[in-house]
Amino acid sequence: MGVALLAEPPAERVAAVAPTDDDLIALALSGRGDAFGTLVERYERAVYHLAFRTLREIEEAKDAAQEAWIKAYRALASFRPGAKFATWIFTICYRVCCDRLAKRKRFTGDEPPDFADPSDGPERTYEAAEEAAGLRAAIQALPEKYRTVITLFHLQGKQYEEIATVLDLPLGTVKTHLFRAKDLLRAALGPTAKRRTT
Amino acid sequence: MTDDELDRALFALPLEEPPADLHQRIMAATVLRTAPAFRPWELWLLAGAVILIGCLAAWTLTSSPDAGTRLADAVVAVLRALGLFSRATYVWLAIGLSSVWWISSLPFMATPRPTVYNR
Repeated sequence: MGVALLAEPPAERVAAVAPTDDDLIALALSGRGDAFGTLVERYERAVYHLAFRTLREIEEAKDAAQEAWIKAYRALASFRPGAKFATWIFTICYRVCCDRLAKRKRFTGDEPPDFADPSDGPERTYEAAEEAAGLRAAIQALPEKYRTVITLFHLQGKQYEEIATVLDLPLGTVKTHLFRAKDLLRAALGPTAKRRTT
Repeated sequence: MTDDELDRALFALPLEEPPADLHQRIMAATVLRTAPAFRPWELWLLAGAVILIGCLAAWTLTSSPDAGTRLADAVVAVLRALGLFSRATYVWLAIGLSSVWWISSLPFMATPRPTVYNR
């Protein structure tokens, strides 16, 4: 579930010998740039997704994703073999995003909203858009902490420990945030969902 | 909407499509990045060495009597040995440089080599 599936290479490539992340890291550390390129191919979409969901701006998400990959490349030697690369790169990306959010708050006073904005809320968007677009809008309207948890839930699947590692939060807090995030999403999508059933 | 329905909807949601140039940008900033000629610590070392040599030279010149005059004499002697005080040197230099400029401004066109087919 989650990124484990999303980041997997296509079936025809799996049919051939698909190197594991650890193999690719070992190759990259031995100077094989193409191995790092394969790692980037595997996870760049998920990393960008996390950056975009956290920052909500395309250009900044692009810069954050690039910065995360540069940091990962420089620190590749410190990657602990056996650990999950996805969790590691998500952790780096999340920290980069947090730094950018902190800077944004410091320089522009722009703070992520603590509550969904009712004027541009998910309900109205959902009425006019398709299901996926509505869900996306509902996620985007969530407060930052819930948005990140739900995004990682989407990427990592139901591996709460991994989410807790990335966010550096206690497991209980992750579960609480996730519960609250789902509650908000249900509340946002509820009226339309009901309408579709009638 | 039940919890399972929401989970299914979340997992069915496609990931955001990254911009087309992102992969190239990442690769250019990591694997394909050319290594700098000097590392930062090497630059600091070089700068330190230059400063040290400068200080030593200044100390030598100021501490030894007539060191400045002797140094200036030595420099002049080297320049004279190279012929830089001779007018003929500059005449030949001017001729050489103007010839280079003239030849480089000639309208020579690079002509493609004829293709040779191996039969």
